[in-house]
Parts: sequence; structure tokens; C-alpha cells
Amino acid sequence: MKTIQQALLLALCICVSGCSPVAPWQRGTLAKPQMALESYPLQSTFNAHIYGSREAATGSSAAGGGGCGCY
Amino acid sequence: MAVIKRILTKRHAENAGNSLLTMAYRQLSERLLTRTITKPKPTTAVSASLQALTAAALSLPGLMPATAQAADEEVSFLYGYYEESNRNLFGVNSRFDPIVVDSLLGSSKIKLSDRLKFAFNYTQDTWSGATPIATAPLSFGGNKEGGVISGATPFLQNNGVLFDKQLNPLRQDALTGEYIKDSQLVHTLSSASPEIRKQGDFKLSYEWDEATLDAGGGISVENDYESRFGNLAGRWDFNRKLTSLNLGLSYTDSDTRAILDHDATPYIFDVGRGAESYNNTSGSGRIQKEGRNNVLRGNRQDWGTALGLTQVLNETALLEAGIGYTRSTGYMANPYKVVEAAFIDPAQTGEVLTGVSIGLLEKRPNERNQWTENLRYVQYIGGLDAALHFDYRFFHDDWGINAHTFEADWVQPLGHGWTITPKVRYYSQDAADFYTPYMASNQAFSKTAVDQSGRPIYVEADNPDNGNVYFRDKDFNLVDADGKIVDEIAVNPINKAIPFDRNKLPGHYSSDHRLSGFGALSGGLTVSKQFAKGVSFEAGAEYYTHAGSMKLGGGGEGAYADYNYYTVNAVLKVDLSALSLAGSEHSGHAGHNHHGGHAPAGVMFDHMMDKAGDVMFGARYMNSTQSGAMLHGTNEVSDQAIVQQGCGDDGCFTVPGGMNMNMIMLDLMYAPTDWLTLMLMPQFVDMDMSTRELNGAPSATFNRQSLINHHTLHEHTTSGIGDTGVYAMFKLFDEAGHHLHGTLGVSAPTGDVGVKFRDTHRIDAGFQHYGMQLGSGTWDFKPSITYSGKLDKYGWGAQLNSTIRLEHNNETGFAFGDMFQSTAWGSYSLLNWLSTSVRGVYTVQGSIRNEYNGTFNKLGPVDYPANHGGRYWDVGFGINAFVPTGSLQGNNLSFEWLQPVSDDVNGYQLPREGALSATWSYAF
Repeated sequence: MKTIQQALLLALCICVSGCSPVAPWQRGTLAKPQMALESYPLQSTFNAHIYGSREAATGSSAAGGGGCGCY
Repeated sequence: MAVIKRILTKRHAENAGNSLLTMAYRQLSERLLTRTITKPKPTTAVSASLQALTAAALSLPGLMPATAQAADEEVSFLYGYYEESNRNLFGVNSRFDPIVVDSLLGSSKIKLSDRLKFAFNYTQDTWSGATPIATAPLSFGGNKEGGVISGATPFLQNNGVLFDKQLNPLRQDALTGEYIKDSQLVHTLSSASPEIRKQGDFKLSYEWDEATLDAGGGISVENDYESRFGNLAGRWDFNRKLTSLNLGLSYTDSDTRAILDHDATPYIFDVGRGAESYNNTSGSGRIQKEGRNNVLRGNRQDWGTALGLTQVLNETALLEAGIGYTRSTGYMANPYKVVEAAFIDPAQTGEVLTGVSIGLLEKRPNERNQWTENLRYVQYIGGLDAALHFDYRFFHDDWGINAHTFEADWVQPLGHGWTITPKVRYYSQDAADFYTPYMASNQAFSKTAVDQSGRPIYVEADNPDNGNVYFRDKDFNLVDADGKIVDEIAVNPINKAIPFDRNKLPGHYSSDHRLSGFGALSGGLTVSKQFAKGVSFEAGAEYYTHAGSMKLGGGGEGAYADYNYYTVNAVLKVDLSALSLAGSEHSGHAGHNHHGGHAPAGVMFDHMMDKAGDVMFGARYMNSTQSGAMLHGTNEVSDQAIVQQGCGDDGCFTVPGGMNMNMIMLDLMYAPTDWLTLMLMPQFVDMDMSTRELNGAPSATFNRQSLINHHTLHEHTTSGIGDTGVYAMFKLFDEAGHHLHGTLGVSAPTGDVGVKFRDTHRIDAGFQHYGMQLGSGTWDFKPSITYSGKLDKYGWGAQLNSTIRLEHNNETGFAFGDMFQSTAWGSYSLLNWLSTSVRGVYTVQGSIRNEYNGTFNKLGPVDYPANHGGRYWDVGFGINAFVPTGSLQGNNLSFEWLQPVSDDVNGYQLPREGALSATWSYAF
């Protein structure tokens, strides 16, 4: 598992160091709906609540709530 | 700035190509450039333009892709359904349905000013069905009841479980009588009547050019659990908006108030001493007797922080990395899960040891520190115009759980507004340190107490803890501590028992399968369609497989705990800011206010769309309450009269103390031509009812009394999708302030009419009351005719409507009575955006025809078809706000309170308290 984490960390480093400046008018692609970090926010909320009530790893978001999920 | 953003948003809405967008950005940059250049301090032409360009880039809100998509003003609804597979019970056929969850989410975002945004979300979950309450060796027979009935109420106490000397569970072979080592485990299932959770939360956001600050909070309420939470989050964009830093802080305070299952209670522990014996075995001291219930109370607090960095990597890729830490303290156990514990007296000899097994409430540490690390990567795939999303999350806590989540989504636009998104997700977690499927403790369950000289100690059966102890003298007389003979009948002696030593059990234990080691693989698909005018629709489905064998690195829980589930969901989203962009096209289209003002909120089918192509999107909420003294006809009636006359020859045992109904309807209207408007109305309902025992009720059999207790000890709830209406409205007359239209339609029986109580004390509790079912179960014809008029500030109208059942009975055997209603109203506009209304309503509803065709335990008047329907008068008072101009133009919000004036009920019924209606609609 450590290997996966290290690989991801390495990938992150490469990406960040390899960042090219992107001018505002070059950001058209980034602004496309399919490039949004969260494509379907409402569905994600719904799924996250179900994962949260069936798995031990609780949400990482800074939001609270969600109830007991005791079923 | 708002204009700029709108143009951008509109472009998105039209799903414009890359070149168009680039052009738009360039134009914008140029526009801003000229504006900025007029500012002082231009040093050189080059640096000035650079500066200006930077300024332009930085001042563009929504340049960060994360926010570029989010519509400023939006209303969306989600309906989701979750269903689990049956658990493997190894030959026992459970007659329980597995757990299902119905979820409804509503979300709205509006702009209070150019920089200030407000978002509100509402969530409602309802679940019912069977879930594991414990795990035990198969040989314990947890899902059998005396080996006869299968899989009913949890069977947790077994006085004859068998083990070998190494404490391996043994099974006796039915044919040979041999004892065989059998370590096969199985879940013990328990079913639940419907339960409901409601959550409301809000977020207020302020945007600067390069930063955003969010403050939010909310509350989540269940019968047995309540959470209140608040959060603060900030985002700072820098590095020419190529980088964003996110920081969040949250706090949650949750209270558990769980009524320990009065049904499972006797099987969890011998509750002759009630709460005390729970506390004795759990050592928690959390359980108190409240009325006739054992109630467990706990409080928990969670503090969470999260730090994230979003980085645009290049023109086609971006990355988000984050870390989070959450500290939870307090009561974190699940009050409904128990750990099966077998006690084996080590004094036994022989190869086969007999033990006593009981269920102990689980015990978790009261502190948990959790860390998460996550990475999200989005890559544009040029040739296909698609995007690949890859997420990885690592979770670690000091309960010994490490978890990994991998998810990949492929978002593929298909043209004409269609997008298809397949996804795959893999999750794996280690078991918590204190997870154990069950426990075998090498000590006797209880021992007879003796004094120093070895004499058995006796205590008073009726009051064992009063400190008095007794002994037998050599002639077997009962003597007190001083050796004086006492009256045996008065003392009523029993042996003093010493329960097992709970210090010999582990400090913490839980057999909740969520804390076990397992892996889960799921795959899903989302299809979305963006329609014109900012309306979009999404449908999603996912299939999930949980298996111990799929845990990373192996060593997961056995296959007995494997299960699958699937979810489906549908989302309707309206982008209000995209719509108001089209405002110019709609100038002069001052909403739908022209036909004599808005009808009060409680009137349905009150208006049509104006012209071909118009669309309206709305939501209705209705709450109605019944409570008070029971009525017979128009008069209050005594308990005695109800007992004697309300329930035929059987007599009545209970009456409802109160009933509440909430209804959320979506209102979708479309006009294909000027004279016709089509309407679709799905709805979601929830109801709860409390029950009390009638004074002077006849004595009940044991089974009946168990059912009565089941009703009176706590409220009952039902919730889910209701019936769905499909209507066509025809314009009949429309001139000079007068409008007349007719509506024809049907209500389709999409609401469940087979909702049952959970079994109690191994008795099939049967159907819920007629009025607690979620729909009518029949196809219903619903015609109406509506007239409305307007003169200056005055408006008026009238409507006749009816509901005619097209079938004699539904699938569970009955049909509600037909309904006829007439109503008339007047309204007055106080301001150009605000009006008030007064209305009168007369309703006639028939009684129920036929009756349930399955198991149904009649306990009170609500269970008899004749005690339904009646004749009712109401007066309504309403207000109505309409937004005629501005970015929220076309929005309409109205409220109405319907006050009952007279109830003339059929048979014996609760009076009505009143009804609140609220409607929001948006026409465009």
C-alpha cells in the first residue's frame, strides 16, 4: 500500500513541478462541465451518505451532519 | 461582473465549443483590459497590458474550473433508492425483506447580492427492512425460533450453546448425534418498521475577487438521534488563479436517545431488573428507565479540519490534494447492535462444554482520531472531448482502521446536451482493533452467591438489592443475618446470583460489520441531459459488492458477511441564472400573474401556462395535523363510547393520539399549445402517528397486548414515494380578466399500500393503518374545473374538483372513498409583488371500501373502514409573493393556512388541527 501512496506522491510532485502557466484565454477546456471536480454534486452527496453508513472511513469533507446511519 | 459571468454561464449552458469559449474569454479580457488601462500608474505599455491582463484574469470570478461550473442560482431535486440483497442465512429462509432506503434531497442556491450567496439543502431518508443485529456461530441458531419459525425477531439468548475445551463452537449432527467442530458464523437479523431522518442545512458565502468565505450550519433529526453542526470554510485563489487553497473547519454535536428495542430486550439480557442489568453488563450507566422504556442516552462531538490545494496543471488537467483530521469524542457505539457473548463455566468436565449466550450492547472507545489524505486528478481527453476523473483517498484512525478508496469516472459528452458517465470504485478497509464477530468467555454466566462459610445467600425476590440477606439453618429454616428465623412467605427468598465478571471481557467490543475487514467493488453509470432554458436531468445507478475476500492484502471477514446493494437516483436541476439570462427574450412576460392573481397556495390546478412552449417548474409542500379529542360525527366522544361502539363486536383498545402528514410534490408544467397545458406531479409523503390506550378497554390476550404495547410505546412512521399525477389542462375561456379551464387527469398508484409494522414478540404485526399507507393503491380519475378573475388589485376564483377511484380495491384489498371538493377565494394585492387571500373550502370524502386482504391486527377505530371520510368546512388565509423583475424574475412563493371550521366525520375519528401549504414555482 505504501508503494501506491509513494507513487501518487511522486506523480503529484511531477505534475506540480511540470505546471505550465495557463493564460486566462487558454482555460476554455478547463471550464468545460466535464472538467468540474464534482460532476454531479447531488448524486455525490447521496452516494457519500450511503458509503458513510456502510463503511468505516468517514467523510473527509469539512461539512457536518449525515445523521447516525445506524441502520 | 455579473454580466460577464452570465455570458460565460450561458455559453456553458449551450455547451459551446472550445473556440467559442476561448473567444469569449479573450473578448472579456480585452474589455477588462481597456477598463483597467484607464487606471493610473501605467509604466510601460508592455507591463501595463501584462498587469491588466493579470488583473482581468484575477478579477474574473469563476475562472477556477471548480467554480466555473456551479450555477449562481439553481434549484435541484434528487430522489434516490437503495436496496440491499438478502443475507446468507445458511438454509434459513428469512421472510424479512432486506433493508431499503428512500432518499429525497432538495437543494437551492440564490444570490443575495453580487457577492453574497445563500444555499439551502433539505434531505430526507426513510429506511425499513432487516439488518444484522449480531453475529454468532451458526450452531447458536440465532435466526431460528425454537427451530420452527425462521428468521423472525432476533433470537439472541440461548442457554445451551456447545463448545469444545478450546472454546470452538460445536454442532450436534442431527443423524449421528456426534459433536462436530463448526466455526461457521452467521448474522442474526432483526427487522425494523420505517424510520425517518430529516436534515436541513444552509451555507452563506461571500466572494471577493480572489477569495471566498463560507459559513454554514444545519440540523439532522431522527427519532433517536439528533445532530447539530456548523462549519466555516475559506478559499483563496492565487498564482493567477491557477492555484486555490481551501481550508475548512467543522463542529458537530450529536445526541443519541435510543429506546432499546422492547422486543429484542428480553433476548439481549434477562431484564427482570431492567435498565440496571443493562448497565451492569455494559458498565456504561447510560441506560435509564423512562416510563416503560429503557432509554440509552449518549452525546458525541466531532471537530474536523480539512486543508486542500487545487492546482491547474496545464490547459487540460487539474489536480486537487487534501488532508483532513477529525477528532470524535463521546458515545460512538450503535445502540441497536449487540455482540453475542457465550459464557462457558470452566468448572465443567468432559469434552463437550455447555454455555449460555446472550447479546451484549456493543462497547466502543469514546475517542477516535481520524486522518484522511486525498488526491483528485482530472484530465481532459482531447480526441473524445471527454474527461477522466481519478480519485484516491487514504483513511487512517486510531481504532486500527486503514482504508483506501480508488475511484475513476469517465465523463463523456455525446452532443445535443447528453453526457454519459461510467464509474468504477474500489474500497478496502482493515478491521477495527476491537472488532469481534462474537465472544466466548471462559467464566460462568452467573453463580450462586455463598458466604465465607460456603452457605448459599438468599435475597428478597421482589427487592433483591435492599441489602437484606438470608440463609438456611441446619433444619432448612430461613434465617436472617443474625440467625433469627423469618417468615418465608413474606420474604419470598431467591438465591443471590453473581453475574459474570465483565472485567474478564475485552475493554471494547463490536461486531458491527462496518468495522470488520472487507473490500468493496462498485460500478455505476450516470446519464445526463441538458435541456434548453437551463433545465437538466440526470439518472444514475450503481451496483456495489461487499466481500471479506476483496480486502486488500487478504484477511477479511468470512463470506457469511458478504452482501450486495444497488442504488438508483434521478435528479432534476433548474439553473435560474441561465434562465434569467433569457430574461430579455421574456421581457413583457411578467410571469403568470395575469389571470386574476395567484390562487392561494393550497389550490392545485389553479393556472395554465400562457403560451405554447412555456414551462413551469415548482414544488409544493403540505403539512396537515390531526389531534385532540376523538369525534363521532360532529361531537366529542368519551373513551367508553369508543370502546363499545367504535370497533364492532371486538371492542376498541387504542385510539390515535395524533397524526402528522408531510407531502412534497414536484410540479412540472409544459404547454405544447396555447390551449393545452400538460402537468406531471410526482410526490413524496411521510406520516407519523402516536397511539394511546383507551380507558376502559377490554382485557387483551397476551399477543394483542404485545401489539398494543408496540403501538403505544413509540410513534410509528411511514414515508416514501406517493402517487403520481398526470394531468392535461384545457383552456375553455380566456378574456377580459376572466379565465376558465378544465383539468382531466389520473393519479397513478405509485405509492406503496402494503407498508407493514415490523414483527414484534414473534407476532406478525401485519399492515399499518389505512391512513398511514403512502398512496391510494388505485388508479384515480381527477377532474376539475377552475374559474379565476381579476380587476385592478382584486382577484377571485372558484374551483370544483373530484377524485374518483377507478377500482374497487387495490392490491392489498381496499379502496379509499371518492372525494369531492368545492372552493372559492378572493385576493387583494397589497403591493405589486405581494398579495393576500381568503378562501372557503367544503370537502366530502367517502369511507373506505373493502378491507385489507392480509394479516391485519385491528386495535382501534382507525383500523375499521367505516371510520374514514366525512364532511369538512375550512377557511384558508394566504399570502403570495411574486418577483416581477430582477434576476429572480418569475419566481413565486405562497403560503396558506387552512383552518378547520367544522368536522363531521364518518364513525369515530380524530379531529383535524389544520394544514399549512407552501408552494414555490418558477415559470419561464
